[in-house]
Amino acid sequence: MKISTIVIRLSGIILVLALLIYFPGRKWARAHVNEKTATTDHPLLCTSCHLYIQKTGLIANLVNARYMSPINLTVSGDGKRLYVVAQESNALLIVDSESKKVINKIGVGNQPHSVILSKDGQKAYVSNQWSDNVFVIDLSAGRVTDTLKTGNGPAGLALSADGKALYVVNSFSSDVTVIDLQSKEEINRITAGNNPTGAKLSPDGKFLFVTSRRTVNVPYGEPLSSELTVINDSSRRISEYRKIESAYMMENVAFTPNGDLGFVTLIRPKNYVPSIQVEQGWMMTHGFGVFQPGKGGSVNELLIDEPNSFYSDPFGIAITPDGKKAFISSAGTDYITVIDIDSVRALINGSTPEVRKLYSNNLGISSRYIIKRIHTGSNPKGIALSPDGKLLYVAEMLDDNIGVISTESLQKVSSIDLGGPRRITVARKGRRLFNNSSHTFQNQYCCYTCHPDMHEDGLVYNMSGKDMGRNVTNTMSLRDISETAPFKWSGTNLTVYKQDGMRFSTFLTRTESFSYKDLDALTSYILTGIKNPPNLQYNPNGELTEAQLRGKKIFERTKDSYGNEIPEANRCITCHTPPYYTNSKMSYVQTLAATDDSILFDTPHLNDIYASAPYLHDGRAATLEEIWTKYGKNDKHGVINDMTKIQLNDLIEYLKSLRSPQYEYEDLKKNHAKN
Amino acid sequence: MNKRFLKNSLLSAVALILTGFSFLNGQPSVKSDAIDVTDKMPVYGHWRNFTMKDGLPSDHVYCVRIDGDRVLAGTHDGLAVYENGKWKAYTTKDGLPHNGVVSIDVSETTGDVWLGTLGGLSRWSGGKFENFTQLNSGMPNDLVYCVICDGKDVWVATAGGAGHYDTSTRQWEIFTEKNAPMHEPWTYGVSAGDGKIFIAAWGGGVIEYTKKTKQFKDYTDPDGEMEIDLLPDDGIVHDITTATTWGAGYLWASTYFGLSSYDGTHWKGYFKEHCGLASNFINFVRAEGPVVFICSDNGLSSTNGKSWITYKKNDNDSNGKAIISNFSRDDDKTAYKTTREIPMSPSIAHNFVIGVDADKDVLWVATEKGVSRGELMK
Repeated sequence: MKISTIVIRLSGIILVLALLIYFPGRKWARAHVNEKTATTDHPLLCTSCHLYIQKTGLIANLVNARYMSPINLTVSGDGKRLYVVAQESNALLIVDSESKKVINKIGVGNQPHSVILSKDGQKAYVSNQWSDNVFVIDLSAGRVTDTLKTGNGPAGLALSADGKALYVVNSFSSDVTVIDLQSKEEINRITAGNNPTGAKLSPDGKFLFVTSRRTVNVPYGEPLSSELTVINDSSRRISEYRKIESAYMMENVAFTPNGDLGFVTLIRPKNYVPSIQVEQGWMMTHGFGVFQPGKGGSVNELLIDEPNSFYSDPFGIAITPDGKKAFISSAGTDYITVIDIDSVRALINGSTPEVRKLYSNNLGISSRYIIKRIHTGSNPKGIALSPDGKLLYVAEMLDDNIGVISTESLQKVSSIDLGGPRRITVARKGRRLFNNSSHTFQNQYCCYTCHPDMHEDGLVYNMSGKDMGRNVTNTMSLRDISETAPFKWSGTNLTVYKQDGMRFSTFLTRTESFSYKDLDALTSYILTGIKNPPNLQYNPNGELTEAQLRGKKIFERTKDSYGNEIPEANRCITCHTPPYYTNSKMSYVQTLAATDDSILFDTPHLNDIYASAPYLHDGRAATLEEIWTKYGKNDKHGVINDMTKIQLNDLIEYLKSLRSPQYEYEDLKKNHAKN
Repeated sequence: MNKRFLKNSLLSAVALILTGFSFLNGQPSVKSDAIDVTDKMPVYGHWRNFTMKDGLPSDHVYCVRIDGDRVLAGTHDGLAVYENGKWKAYTTKDGLPHNGVVSIDVSETTGDVWLGTLGGLSRWSGGKFENFTQLNSGMPNDLVYCVICDGKDVWVATAGGAGHYDTSTRQWEIFTEKNAPMHEPWTYGVSAGDGKIFIAAWGGGVIEYTKKTKQFKDYTDPDGEMEIDLLPDDGIVHDITTATTWGAGYLWASTYFGLSSYDGTHWKGYFKEHCGLASNFINFVRAEGPVVFICSDNGLSSTNGKSWITYKKNDNDSNGKAIISNFSRDDDKTAYKTTREIPMSPSIAHNFVIGVDADKDVLWVATEKGVSRGELMK
């Protein structure tokens, strides 16, 4: 037999075999992918699941990388050094502004947030948001010299006018720690607005202004407002809670040099109207608040958006030393917006309060005070001016760069590479998508807008249809959700692939859906890159308090206080099964409202539940207590009516202690090593 | 005549003997030449009274608290704030959880005002009322009879138990008859001192809570009698306590049947029958150092344990008097001596006194018919 004949026959056999394998194999693969993605159209790519969503192990280590992710920065008094908080690397980077090189990297605590310098410029204070402390760094020695204990989730920092006290904004416990820098002890704890972040002392040194990101809790349908907390610097007491109406996500605050005006970044959500309104330019608007710092001074809100083009997620704000220009970073659209302050002043002074209220929703008015948009790297966050005001430094969080902008030419003039990994992983790409509004109609919002810090924004949205006020849903956290499918309160999405696929664009973004590559990247980030913070306030080391231990017993009980058997389906632990405290099933706890379609609800996961007020599917319960005291009186959401108030308090203390399994394992390991 | 009546009669007789028939001494004689006991006791006069005509939301004033340059008064119809010579009222329309404001305290560290109302607890700060109720928080009950600030803790005495809220951790810990030695969860008063918390528990005397050890100790009336104090100074005079206060090393406890003091070892009882106390029916007490102010249904008294000053309004006009007396039962078992009476024109607003607060040289008094401001007399 000729060789050619053999080759032909062999090829034929291989082809037949290949066809025999291909068709059923492809059929199997299709079924497999359909099952794993809960969709019918996802490409047959093994990498989607077997590479990109691995959280631990060799593959995860190979596929993923640790970036710098700069979030905030400050500039030395002589302008020669930049101090950059590298949030993902848990480091403070010291950058030479002339050579544009990182000259030192100092390890700090977990998830650092902000940095400020002492009055003499010799020390840096870095808030470690997930460590509940502030590191004091001796800049000449280049090392951490002290650790100052704070409240929960320290973020923004400010010094008192005399430089003797440090204000630390505790973003999780919603208060401000005042630390005496001589004794290094907390001398006061002042209640702030909901989820406070940014802090700045007024130029006259009399008052500290603290922004807040979440709104004051109000029942669905009532007007929203957030609070600007004003603290008297000399008495270290509250001066006022300034109400900022219809706004939230106030990240940062700045003042004109003469102190006549203060500016805060903000978002004006339209969460009460159906999300379909996004097509009409009405889902989210972004802007800034302008306020007179004096007690009871006016507050006006203006937008940085314009018709057909939005500038989502304003974060950083800085004002030039001459008081002429303000810069606002739009983290969701990669732009710096430049505002002419005199034009803002003229607009406000030349209009009545009624007209100014109209301005706060007017997309067309921004052209009267915005003089330039400057494109930046990915996800611009904190910004800082050089002492002479000639350069603006921008923390491009998802590019690992510091962008340098000339405030005279209003152009980006250079970029400082912070030395993060060159390779862009799939999860990193997903994080960029998560934080970028380009996939939403007119750039109105991105995932991050309603899920700030990948958590939730505390608002209730009308997302499931066009009918006003029907099927409203409380935003759910995206932290550590990989094992908690199905998703959405209705549980209709079994996977993130489905949640963020075609349906996402149909119901939310109103644009083209994500490409499959983008969907893979987004899914990879959501399932692998988003962690819960450690629950340092209620469960710092796995050792439960006496009340929490009593509450745990109640949570796991099978009999009520009278010795009666609690039906299995009505026990806490049946539906809220550890370690994520969800059985991933749909259930009915008699919370269906008249405005809801008749459906069951997904059992929510409970880790870090303390940080997710309001509660229940439509956010009707302002606190954990209200789940039962107001909305669980019929014993359909667990048996509760036999309990004393002490027992209910114990149960709630236990619920507040729940945290991600990661931390349970870490503490178990530590304890094991100790023993 | 049943056995119970016989027993009570016998006990009463024994009590009378043991107290040296002090009740039977009748009205004291006025001795203007007696020892001047006022050297350590402040006397207030030049009273000025405020009512609804002056801007109070109600004449029924439950409590009063001095807060720097301003004065806060809790009334039946809202919170009233006196500042720069004017009263301003705040009600549920402004965010109060209930208009009946029955207790006020101010945090020394944060300056936050804490209000105990008949519908919950409220933190008033920076113009905002943040309300805590039994439904939205770990609060034991919405009837908050007393609130005090103790460092970062805010303690409440409510109709459903006492408790404290840690303003740093935002956690509640509450105490009822289920986890504390209370007769029932109804509590009227709470005060702090010497590392301890003293809860006035209805029917349960005084419940002492040591913060360091988290241990309770209860002080009840040893004789258990409702109508009389059978054995003098054997313990607290009655189990139905209305308030506690701590000052200069002494715990003071008021009841509707007399006043008690406790120095950590010995209890001492005070009754109107043999001291300068205005009435045995005492609504509230507040100690300011060694001096304790006693709010009763028949005037306001103050004492340092030996000397007494009682402020009373005349029945028929707006005038009244301050009755100054000494009482040194240890060395004079016969009676108290009235040293003198100082006429007051006007007097305090009403003899039903329910709240009081003192600063360096002013005294504010909450009464059934308005709030009164007295000045320290030189």
